[in-house]
Amino acid sequence: MDCYTANWNPLGDSAFYRKYELYSMDWDLKEELRDCLVAAAPYGGPIALLRNPWRKEKPASARPVLEIYSASGMPLASLLWKSGPVVSLGWSAEEELLCVQEDGVVLVYGLHGDFRRHFSMGNEVLQNRVLDARIFHTEFGSGVAILTGAHRFTLSANVGDLKLRRMPEVPGLQSAPSCWTTVCQDRVAHILLAVGPDLYLLDHAACSAVTPPGLAPGVSSFLQMAVSFTYRHLALFTDTGYIWMGTASLKEKLCEFNCNIRAPPKQMVWFVLDEDSYLVPELDGVRVFSRSTHEFLHEVPVASEEIFKIASMAPGALLLEAQKEYEKESQKADEYLREIQELGQLPQAVQQCIEAAGHEHWPDMQKSLLRAASFGKCFLDRFPPDSFVRMCQDLRVLNAIRDYHIGIPLTYSQYKQLTIQVLLDRLVLRRLYPLAIQICEYLRLPEVQGVSRILAHWACYKVQQKDVSDEDVARAINQKLGDTPGVSYSDIAARAYGCGRTELAIKLLEYEPRSGEQVPLLLKMKRSKLALSKAIESGDTDLVFTVLLHLKNELNRGDFFMTLRNQPMALSLYRQFCKHQELETLKDLYNQDDNHQELGSFHIRASYAAEERIEGRVAALQTAADAFYKAKNEFAAKATEDQMRLLRLQRRLEDELGGQFLDLSLHDTVTTLILSGQNKRAEQLARDFRIPDKRLWWLKLTALADLEDWEELEKFSKSKKSPIGYLPFVEICMKQHNKYEAKKYASRVGPEQKVKALLLVGDVAQAADVAIEHRNETEMSLVLSHCTGATDGATADKIQRARAQAQKK
Amino acid sequence: MAFPHRPDAPELPDFSMLKRLARDQLIYLLEQQHEVDKLYKVENKPALSSSEQLCFLVRPRIKNMRYIASLVNADKMAGRTRKYKVIFSPQKFYACEMVLEEEGVYGDVSCDEWAFSLLPLDVDLLSMELPEFFRDYFLEGDQRWINTLAQALHLLSTLYGPFPNCYGIGRCAKMSYELWKRLEEEEDGETKGRRPEIGHIFLLDRDVDFVTALCSQVVYEGLVDDTFRIKCGSVDFGPEVTSSDKSLKVLLNAEDKVFNEIRNEHFSNVFGFLSQKARNLQAQYDRRRGMDIKQMKNFVSQELKGLKQEHRLLSLHIGACESIMKKKTKQDFQELIKTEHALLEGFNIRESTSYIEEHIDRQVSPIESLRLMCLLSITENGLIPKDYRSLKTQYLQSYGPEHLLTFSNLRRAGLLTEQAPGDTLTAVESKVSKLVTDKAAGKITDAFSSLAKRSNFRAISKKLNLIPRVDGEYDLKVPRDMAYVFSGAYVPLSCRIIEQVLERRGWQGLDEVVRLLNCSELAFTDMTKDDKASSESLRLILVVFLGGCTFSEISALRFLGRGYRFIFLTTAVTNSARLMEAMSEVKA
Repeated sequence: MDCYTANWNPLGDSAFYRKYELYSMDWDLKEELRDCLVAAAPYGGPIALLRNPWRKEKPASARPVLEIYSASGMPLASLLWKSGPVVSLGWSAEEELLCVQEDGVVLVYGLHGDFRRHFSMGNEVLQNRVLDARIFHTEFGSGVAILTGAHRFTLSANVGDLKLRRMPEVPGLQSAPSCWTTVCQDRVAHILLAVGPDLYLLDHAACSAVTPPGLAPGVSSFLQMAVSFTYRHLALFTDTGYIWMGTASLKEKLCEFNCNIRAPPKQMVWFVLDEDSYLVPELDGVRVFSRSTHEFLHEVPVASEEIFKIASMAPGALLLEAQKEYEKESQKADEYLREIQELGQLPQAVQQCIEAAGHEHWPDMQKSLLRAASFGKCFLDRFPPDSFVRMCQDLRVLNAIRDYHIGIPLTYSQYKQLTIQVLLDRLVLRRLYPLAIQICEYLRLPEVQGVSRILAHWACYKVQQKDVSDEDVARAINQKLGDTPGVSYSDIAARAYGCGRTELAIKLLEYEPRSGEQVPLLLKMKRSKLALSKAIESGDTDLVFTVLLHLKNELNRGDFFMTLRNQPMALSLYRQFCKHQELETLKDLYNQDDNHQELGSFHIRASYAAEERIEGRVAALQTAADAFYKAKNEFAAKATEDQMRLLRLQRRLEDELGGQFLDLSLHDTVTTLILSGQNKRAEQLARDFRIPDKRLWWLKLTALADLEDWEELEKFSKSKKSPIGYLPFVEICMKQHNKYEAKKYASRVGPEQKVKALLLVGDVAQAADVAIEHRNETEMSLVLSHCTGATDGATADKIQRARAQAQKK
Repeated sequence: MAFPHRPDAPELPDFSMLKRLARDQLIYLLEQQHEVDKLYKVENKPALSSSEQLCFLVRPRIKNMRYIASLVNADKMAGRTRKYKVIFSPQKFYACEMVLEEEGVYGDVSCDEWAFSLLPLDVDLLSMELPEFFRDYFLEGDQRWINTLAQALHLLSTLYGPFPNCYGIGRCAKMSYELWKRLEEEEDGETKGRRPEIGHIFLLDRDVDFVTALCSQVVYEGLVDDTFRIKCGSVDFGPEVTSSDKSLKVLLNAEDKVFNEIRNEHFSNVFGFLSQKARNLQAQYDRRRGMDIKQMKNFVSQELKGLKQEHRLLSLHIGACESIMKKKTKQDFQELIKTEHALLEGFNIRESTSYIEEHIDRQVSPIESLRLMCLLSITENGLIPKDYRSLKTQYLQSYGPEHLLTFSNLRRAGLLTEQAPGDTLTAVESKVSKLVTDKAAGKITDAFSSLAKRSNFRAISKKLNLIPRVDGEYDLKVPRDMAYVFSGAYVPLSCRIIEQVLERRGWQGLDEVVRLLNCSELAFTDMTKDDKASSESLRLILVVFLGGCTFSEISALRFLGRGYRFIFLTTAVTNSARLMEAMSEVKA
């Protein structure tokens, strides 16, 4: 441990850099790295090599091979390159490999060499060829920028949502720029390029010349430029061997440096290095890999520096020392501890050790720092435990993924930046399902975000295994997934369908508990009838409707109706729609079902809603009547026929008498006739339509009273014995406030209703006499309830007496 | 009488939250997104507004869509371009979008949803204000609102915690319940671990009890609804009530102190109560005679306003009462009530039938006549064929032939049917279904469905003791049971079922009733043991009426109390006239 800082190199006064080996690579490369197109994804991502690229000196005799390795050199994929010449390779943020071809087509491959899709960088490129290309990352995703043979730039800021932007022309640009790069400022991607001694910044609107402040004179051209990982800093390498470093906005110079190397380095990434290796810029350092090793170079984090710097008296350093002494059972432990405690710095010491542990690559070192932290914690009362616990968990995860077999060499800072969710996605992408699930379980992530999501991914991968039978795949998936919450069987089924396994998809859908979710996919797979029953099961009428319209377009009318017939719920839904929107279809529906009753109703409605002319209306009614006969609804048929007769008659009445008759009810028609003095016609109508006597009497009585034709009323009342008695006469006369006439009829009212009639005309005294005569208890109390105040006092007494007498008996 | 709640009666949950939620969402939709400055009522006429954008807040009805489409197309013809926004409440239906598409305006309008499904009309009454629910479901068999209902129940359980005890009866109740439970499962976690605020929920289909809804209401709030029509918790009192030349819109809820005391009273008590109240008020006014300046100042600043307010309300309700009395206390109404009671009790059927016939012959009112016919049909298990024919004929002659369709509707809904010659048909049905295929059997069952819906009112009434035995006069001032809401003649069937199920904590022992209601497969109980439920919450019951409930039923359950407190959720407040209108075919 004494030489722990042996790999530290000072840089300037304040910082140290260290380099440590991540892996020794045994990828057994046949070619030199310099002969390949190389792309390594950030965040410890995979490495892609395209051997034998199209070099002028080597004619393309053999097809090149595209190989993909993990960061530890484990082969992931290898495939023969069959497409056109490739200009550049790069990884997207989703760890998809983007291969930019000379003709401007970008091919997208998965981590395992599976072809995903392709897109083009525009037609213009086809003729002019791509000279150079860059893949860059912004907060929106991964972008591609190309330089065409016509020295124009085109870029797309997000390949997931492809929008090509052709950049404006650079004035006077005749040959390719000596170097260029993409910078991202204010959420917009720009291109910075160097032409001779000039720098230009291209945005989508304009091209503007820029000058870095404080640039040393004598620069005749820029050979290389590099932007930092976060787009915050920029470095320029000039032909004089001079390096300018400053902010990417070119507003501030940070430092300059003269390295006296005139030849342009192949790569510059904020770190300048040696021989045949490849550099991968990372958030907090640079990965350097060569044929044999893979190393990480970074600035020593503050916490580590404090602890390990030679002769450091930082609290963390003392705590580490104390713990070591304690293990040796030396009393020095106490001394160190006291020293920290006297300064009151124990909490900082513990915190420092925890933090430093995070930045250590080797588990032994992590352990010893964590042990020190834990030792220090024993002497603290209220030290919140979560930072320690979380660090232990994070380190376990990190150590697991850094393992050679997994090969994701993330540092602690990168891991935090990437987040656990993305890390899990990447494990899933590498098909490391068991590890991902173990991590979820270990970190106790909620099932929906954790285990179930991974299982769902596993299932989606599983359905692509074409050599396994549908049965087996479906069963295997169900066994693993069961009813895990958050797993969508329909998503998995959709994937199966995407691989052309319709039967498997249907089997998988059977496991989907939410029938609503099954419907869209079933429709897509043209299983509309199954979709219909699932939609109905879901109880969601909208869904049913969606399926219905699908079916309507898919099937011929007959089949469509037949399908509906077996689904009453769908049928009633569709009927409702037709009622408002497609009346003819509604009729067809009834027809096909031989539903004559509803057909009849349909035509009845048409007779007054759709038809204007009287002939049309009668015809509609005739059709309705026929339908009713077929439905064996004689009543409705007869009623409809009556209505036809009435309509014709009303028409005639209108013609002959004028006035409004159409659409009146039979009763109202007769009333109108009486009111207009057409008594004969009224009688005739009543006979024709067999209006019952009772109704006719009521009708005439009311109409004549309305006319106040008392003479005629009296004549009518004497025409024969009233079938409704004479009480109604009294009532109606009273309603017209004609007491005189009312009294006439009151005398003719039969004995049962006499009392009521007398009360109606206000003859309480006589009513009382009749009631007493009848010896009817209810009649008596009725009269009593009509006795008001003083005027009827005598009558009331009379009744009371009669009552008393009745009770005596 | 505000029913004297037991001192330990549970507090009602705070429903104002629902209002706030809905209001905030609407404000967001209107202001943030569309900058609305003026609101117009959607009527079938051209929009006169000259603004650059039109925003429609509508129910998802095809009729409305056609109106909007015609408006947009008219603008197009006139070469005018505007922005159109349609906000559907409570939800958008695919069929509506389809109509817009078919009318060729789908691309011109944008759509939004305002998920406002529960309107708190009162402290204990939530309404979905979906009067069309009744016709759509019970007549057309359209299940579109069931989803809306399930969503609403889901909203309630997210706001007020899960319901530990669920009961229900009826097909729609069962479907809604299942859909709701599925929603809860899909989004589980939201209600988990919440303390239930409402201990019981009871779902009930309107078609389980049509009788109660068809009766004339005699409790004050119900009478006001029958006479003046309460809309969204408020009523328009016309000049005859306000005794001025203006109409007045009055909110009717527990805030109105006078109304709150009489709303659940039998009408015969209301007048007496109001005059007593008037006397008290006068006495309070009179107190100021003997006051010195200081007391007077106090009186004016503190009491006068309240007294004046009370005075105003009092005179309004007295006016309403007088108006009701004028309309109802004529002999006609007494006869009508007598006939209704006879129908409920099942005696003097012939006399009642002639009464109804006379009612029709005299053209008293198409809706009333229809109501009485339905009441007769349901209480008698359908009309005997002769009466069925003659009453229908009379009706068509009186009110017009288009009602042939009304009768067809009523038959389909099981409200007005013809008596089948004995039970032989059902026997035939079961025999036939053994012989033929399932499909054919389905058709046959359809054909018999109107028979299957046959009511067994008389037997149910006996089983559940719906007609109280009265020794002497029923004292309406001190009601003994829920029958008081119908003058002591009849206990509302719906309320009795609820009472019985709560008492028995399920349907045990009610098998025969359930069978008679034709709901053998459709009565359910679901109880989860929830230790977190407080005893207070276990005495709160949410009753959900699918297809509407009447104020009489609300009053009856408010009366039932017994340490329980009821909260009501209904698709709409209804009454006999609304039910009949929903079934009627009227010329457009």
